[in-house]
Parts: sequence; structure tokens; C-alpha cells
Amino acid sequence: MRPVFFFLAVGLLFLLSGCYDRIELEEQSYVIGIGIDKADNDEKGLFKITFQIANPEVGSSISSGGSDEDPQQTITVEGSDFITATNTANSIVTKEIVLDHTKVLVISEELARSGDFLRVVQSASRTTQLRRGVQIVVSREDASDFLNNNKPTLETRPHKYYQFMLNRATETGIIPDADVHRFFQITEGDADLFLAIYATTEKIEEKSQGYEDQYIAGQIPQIGSNATQFMGSAVFKEGKMIDVLTGQETRLCLIFDNTIDMDDLLATYPDPIKKGYRIAASFIKKEKTKVDIDYKKNQPSKITVTVPFSLEILAIPSLVDYAENSENQKILRKTITDDINKRAEQLVKKAQQEYRSDPFYWSIYVRKYFRTIKEYEKADWNHDIFPNADVKLDFQLTQIEFGKMLNDSDLDAVRD
Amino acid sequence: MQGKERLTAKELFAITVLMIAVKIGDTTPSLLAQHGKNAFWLMAPIAFFTILPSYLLLMHLLKKYKDKNLVELIEHILGKRAGKLVGLALFLITFFSMTIDTRNYVEEIKLLYFPEATTSLVFIIFMGVCFFGAKKGFETIGSTAWVLFPYIKITFILLVILILEEVVWQRVFPIWGTGLGQIVMEGMKKSSIFSQLIILTMAYTSLRKTSMFHKGALFGALIVIVEITFFFLLYCTMFDYNSIEKVAFPFHEITQYVNIGSFFTNIETFFMIFWLLAAFIRFILYLYFTAWIFGAVFNIKEFEPLLLPFGYFVVILGLMPKNAIQNELLFRENYLDMITPFFLILPFLLWTTAKLRGEFKK
Repeated sequence: MRPVFFFLAVGLLFLLSGCYDRIELEEQSYVIGIGIDKADNDEKGLFKITFQIANPEVGSSISSGGSDEDPQQTITVEGSDFITATNTANSIVTKEIVLDHTKVLVISEELARSGDFLRVVQSASRTTQLRRGVQIVVSREDASDFLNNNKPTLETRPHKYYQFMLNRATETGIIPDADVHRFFQITEGDADLFLAIYATTEKIEEKSQGYEDQYIAGQIPQIGSNATQFMGSAVFKEGKMIDVLTGQETRLCLIFDNTIDMDDLLATYPDPIKKGYRIAASFIKKEKTKVDIDYKKNQPSKITVTVPFSLEILAIPSLVDYAENSENQKILRKTITDDINKRAEQLVKKAQQEYRSDPFYWSIYVRKYFRTIKEYEKADWNHDIFPNADVKLDFQLTQIEFGKMLNDSDLDAVRD
Repeated sequence: MQGKERLTAKELFAITVLMIAVKIGDTTPSLLAQHGKNAFWLMAPIAFFTILPSYLLLMHLLKKYKDKNLVELIEHILGKRAGKLVGLALFLITFFSMTIDTRNYVEEIKLLYFPEATTSLVFIIFMGVCFFGAKKGFETIGSTAWVLFPYIKITFILLVILILEEVVWQRVFPIWGTGLGQIVMEGMKKSSIFSQLIILTMAYTSLRKTSMFHKGALFGALIVIVEITFFFLLYCTMFDYNSIEKVAFPFHEITQYVNIGSFFTNIETFFMIFWLLAAFIRFILYLYFTAWIFGAVFNIKEFEPLLLPFGYFVVILGLMPKNAIQNELLFRENYLDMITPFFLILPFLLWTTAKLRGEFKK
């Protein structure tokens, strides 16, 4: 018995450490970004697929040999989906292409607007390679151009670049959190609008009259550094891109949507007393937005949205005394709430009339009125309930803080 | 059977939980989601409470007779001939459940972690491990289950903590999903997903005291239902109602999705190891119990040599379905529906026969 067991164990050793699925780290090419464009000859079902591959040797502490290599390699091939395209790409790339570490999926605006995007991404989700955490970015130009032009200077390693870039920009709320998982939940749910990240590497006409977040990517006046801008969001309805929202509108969407986190929102508001100046403040939302839907069959439903928030004033360039003068403070409170309210109302109106659906994921709040999916689908959120609903927005400024200075210096006294 | 002196309630508790609750990690949720969509989590308690009366009645009977395990009990009450027939049916049911389920797990492992390997190879290695595990005997399996239990559960809890952030609770609405009637019907039909509770009573006389069996099994069943319902609820709220039915392995979709901070990304292999350990325990038990039932029916005292041929047959039969989807949506689905009545009726049949024969009066 013993020798038999021994040989069996040795046999298993060969079997288990065997050749299937064994692959060395250095035999793999890690794709960080995938770009998808329409093919040049407009053939149906054919796409131009770009892989941005990281060079793991760059940036590591043991980069003795290949330290002068580029941190990334970008190649474009044609194919009907990006899993088989990895094989085509192997005619150029030396190693097996692995999509496990993909951080972003870049699609060109042209493709997104054509509605073919759903087809490509659906076929990819069948394999285990494309993860649900991959962020969807819509680029103004071709995705291949976007990936080629994107030359980060500080974070040269592409995976860190995308990770940090997207994390931070999502935190500030100027771009939404837009992973593949969310895309599927919203698109298949067929009620709300999905927001994808909007980005570009090309300048378009700069907006001269823009404040900090009233841009879309490409409009931000910028001098120096990498030309890639992530700003605003692309609106998808039923898997097809229909519009672009500015950073500000995106922020409002995120404020209304409890399913996305956002924690750092710096913005300026018009100074109510000295016209022309603006007051900088940090918008803090610690409590959840309350969305209350009063569903009525056959007549407009009532949607009441309450957003409790507090402000921390960061700068008052007009030097008006708001901190101590309670009269002034009252005016300030009112102007700021009115200002936000006005912008939010515009956005909701646009959603109701133009998109006829909402980018705030509010449909989940109406579900409790229905007992079965059939009833819920029959009531039809994006054709019937939301576009005709009576939406009331209520921004409640609970607290206003003035930082660590009690008062600003009196400019007149200084200049005296 | 060896190990009569050692095993206690806690090992049986671990066995019960590991054998059944690992269903959260296979295709059972997606099978139920085909019918219930976002309300499929309700089907778990419905299925459980459908089988519960039968289970409790069986426990009651076992308590009455004290020193008999499931097959001995059946033979004692129904007589030699009818008892053998029912015992054989029980064996066949267990054997085929095992075959279908192993194929599922093998497909899952292959698809997600070893895409290049052939199904047959993964199958052979998987069953090989189960065979060596089962050969160690019930006592060792029990202690192994107990030793691994905390690690497996801690990783599951970690997964829950990581995923809670992504969950949208409002997705449970509309509360009845595809309709209350359908959920209840399908839930009742699928109550055989808890049929292992009944199969586990084979071990009734193998613990130090029979009272320990009651304690371990009932407490285990309680944890099982809580855990399964909670995980199914998580799946329902993680995926929207149209997406949940498309996902074949929700557990693995979730492990692929979560990250610990921005440094520990792609951590699914970590969860996979503990899931795999749980799966091994489950199929070691399955194989062992199948052989055990067979041995008890045909009066084979030393049934352990049977493990190898049974393992072999499982591989051969398990490879027969053409693909995993066929295996899952066709065979498993129909099979679960088919065997449900057997497990629901068996205890009542035993009880009524015993009553009619005046067994309780003695």
C-alpha cells in the first residue's frame, strides 16, 4: 500500500503543478485601458480596438535593466469584440494579453452615440476577464487618439494614473462613478439614465465665462501638463449616449443620487451684497438625500426631494462681513440656497422634458408602490411617471461655518 | 462506524452549515432567480419552511427509536422489503444529486479559475481530493469541518462587509418580484435544496450522544437558513431585477468586484480558496454519505472501499451533460423539482406506518 500511495502522490505532484493554466508573470501583458471605436470602413459589427498595456518594469524599485523603456505601449487592431482582438493584437505584442487589470474602458463619443456600445460590452461580460469594476469613459475624440495622447507626467505608470485620477475626480463629484456593473444595472433596469465619465485630450473652444465646475472636458483653460481632462458626464439612455452634462450638472446628479458617494465639493456662489464677487464654499452633505415619491395612478406623481447640507465658507473676496453680522448671514444663506435650487430645478426640468428620464436613479424609490415587476413595468417610470411628475426640490442649509478666521481684515483700514 | 466516541454537537453543527450553506456560492441563487427575479431571496425561507415539518417529524421519530440511523429506521418501520426499496431510492437520489452538483462546481472552478484546463481533468482532481478526504472517515471529516468552519465564515463575513457599500436596498421592491403565487410555488418545489438536512440524519447514531445530534443539527439548520436568506438578499440588492437572472455565479461576480482599498485589488482568489475548502468538505460528505447509505441498504458494514467506485461513477456520469448551462437549467432544475416530494413525504410515510402498526404504544 505504501509504495502505491507514494507513487500516486508523486504522480499528483506532476499533475497538479502541470501545464494547464500555469503562466508566469512575465509572460503576460497587462492591459490597463481598452479603447473602442467604430471601424473606419463603417462595417457593421467591426470595431477598432485599442489596448493600452502597462510596462511593469517602469517605476518599480528594481528597474535596473529596462529603465529607459516606455511606461506603456498602445496598439490598435480591428476586431468584432475585444476578447478575440487580444489574439489579433498578439501579432504585435509579444506576450499573452490579460484584461484582468483593466481600469478603464474608453469609448469614442461617436460609437457611444451610435448605440453599438451595448453590443460590445455585453459580449465581453460573458468571460471572466472584464471585471465589473472597470470604469466607462467616453472620449470626445477617437478612443485610440485619447489613449495615445494621454501622457501623464507625474503618475507615469498608467494603472496608478487611472486609479488616482478617477478616484480623486469622482470624490470631487465632477465626474460620476461609472463602472460596468452600474452600467448594466441601470441599462437593464430600463428606467433611469446612466452617467459615464466624459473626458478628452483635445482642446475645444475655451469657455471664458466658466466658474470652477461649469465645464465639460476640453473646455477648461489650462496651461501646461498633460492635456487630458476628465470633466462632466455622458448621458446614456437605454445604452445609447444622448447628451453631455457639465461638471456642475454632474455634481448635482451625484447629490441627488444616494447610490454614489461623493465627499468633497468646492464651489463658488454669487456674493449677494457686493455684486460681481463670488464666495467660495465647501458643500458638505453628510446625510442622505431624502427622495419621497407620492405615486398616483393616472395623474402626476409628486416627487419631493430634500437635501440637507451644510457649508463651510472658505473665502470671501469681497470682504463683506458675513460671519458676525447676522443680517448679512441671513441674506447669504438665502442666496446660496436659491442659487443651488435654481440650477437643480433647471437640471430636473431638462431631464423631464429633454431626456424624459432621470440621471438620479430615482426609480428605485417608486418601486415600493408595486407588488410585482409586471405592475411596476406597466406603470412605466421613464415614459409615464417621471416625465409627468411634479418635482419639488428642497435644499436645506442646516449649518454654515466660517473656518478658523473670525473676520477678514478691513480693506479700507489697510489702505488708509 | 468509527468515531462513535468523539464527535459532538459542534462538529455536526459545522457539517450541517458547511454542507448546505455553501449553496450561496454555487448556481443555486441563479437557478432560483430565473423564477423569482428580485424576490428570489424569499424563496429560500419558503423552501425551508416547506421542508421543516417533515424534517422535525423525522427528528421526532429518530428520537423515539434512539439507536437507529435513517436507513435503519426506514427498514425497521417499513419492513425489510419495502424498506430496502425506499433505501435504494434514497441512495439513487443522493447519488444523482451529487453527480449533478459536482459537475456544477467543477464547471464553476474551471470557468472562473482554470479556463485552459479540461473539464475532465478538473473533475478527476476534484473527485480525487474528495475521495481521499472521504476515506479518512466520518470522524476526521467532522473535525476538519469544525476546524475550517471559522475561517470559511470569517471570509464570508469579510465579503459581506466589503459588499455592503455597493448594495441598494430599494432593489428588493417590487417586493413579490414576479408575483407572490409564482414565488411560493417555485419555492416549495425547490425545497429539496435543503434535502441534505434529511440525508445528514444518517449520522444520527454516530455522535457521542444522540441528544447532541438534535442540538447540532437544529442549530446548524437555523444558521443555514439565516445565512442563505441573507446572502440571497444581498444578491438581490446588488443586482437589479433584470440583471440577476443573467448572472450565473453571483458569489464569484461579487468577489471579483470588491477591493480592499486601492492597493488590494483583484482579490477574488483569496475568497476562492475558502470557498473551495467549503466545497471540498461538502463533496467529501456527499461522497461519504452516498457510500454510507448504500452500505446500510445492502448490509455492507465496511463500506469505505465503495468510495472509489462511487467517485469514479460520479466523474463518468457527471461528464455526460454537454455543458454547464444544460446541466444547470435543465437537469438540476427538473431534478430538484422531482425529488422534493420524496423528501417531503418520506417522514410522514414513516410516521403514519409506525402509528398504524402501533409502534408507539410499546
